[in-house]
Amino acid sequence: MPGPLEYGIWLVCTLLEGAVVVCAIRSHSFRRYIFLNVYMGLSFLASVGRYQALSHYGIVSSQYAYFYYYSDALLTIGLYFALLNLYSLVFDEMKVERYLRFGAVLLLAGTAWFSYAVVQQSSHRLFSHFAYELSQNLYFVGLVLTYALWGAIVKMRETRARLIQLVLALGVYFSAFAANYALQNLSSKATILHFVTPILGCILPAAWAYCFLRVNEETRLAPARLVAVPR
Amino acid sequence: MSRKLTVVLLAMLVLVGAMSLKTVAVTHGDGSVIMANGGAPQPPVPWKNGGAPQPPVPWKNGGAPQPPVPWK
Repeated sequence: MPGPLEYGIWLVCTLLEGAVVVCAIRSHSFRRYIFLNVYMGLSFLASVGRYQALSHYGIVSSQYAYFYYYSDALLTIGLYFALLNLYSLVFDEMKVERYLRFGAVLLLAGTAWFSYAVVQQSSHRLFSHFAYELSQNLYFVGLVLTYALWGAIVKMRETRARLIQLVLALGVYFSAFAANYALQNLSSKATILHFVTPILGCILPAAWAYCFLRVNEETRLAPARLVAVPR
Repeated sequence: MSRKLTVVLLAMLVLVGAMSLKTVAVTHGDGSVIMANGGAPQPPVPWKNGGAPQPPVPWKNGGAPQPPVPWK
């Protein structure tokens, strides 16, 4: 069973997830960033549900494990749509929404097909294997898509501060998990890493809540190239 | 038409890149998983060994106590 420190980190993380939705509503940005808020709302509900399952059945119970992994698959799909929400905002002036939707559905279908192809040999608990594999694969797709979006932002010299911070927070979040995964593989016995993973889970809600609370939608960044004009 | 084909190409590129990245990460990893949603403690994967408890490996030392290595 997790200790008081782990419970504390989990509680902070859950409160931050709820805070994102509250801050977005307060800054009148709920509808503009609808999928980001839906994802954070789902994360909040999943945390409450996981706590219920954990306290009733224990961490090694199959009930908690199934609830955890199925909710994780659902949340990863939510994160994928949150990322697409950011894509549509970055490219909104180019009027390519139709193509973005087409590409997003295609990529999701391709990932689902790939996940099914990996697990189809196991006749035992096929759906559970599929949900688990899809969650893992979508994580890596999200990682690649986030870096691609950051590349597009840099290339297009995007100046909307809130949008840039939201994407950067997502990039830091994915990168931190990837680095943590690599560290775990290097030294799996380091006990400090048990606390690092849940702390990393707080990065995204904390950054997004701060962004909705402090950064105005109209705030623009002044690109350095505009300051230095060549003669 | 060409725009749609470009979208298909980009989607396939992202998919291939992501799956290659995953293959590299999993191959060099210890089989653990990346779970990036929320701060809840991660349970063991329930379907890894079926529902039954995992028995000790029978061919490790047999039932007898392990003797000291004679050539040490």
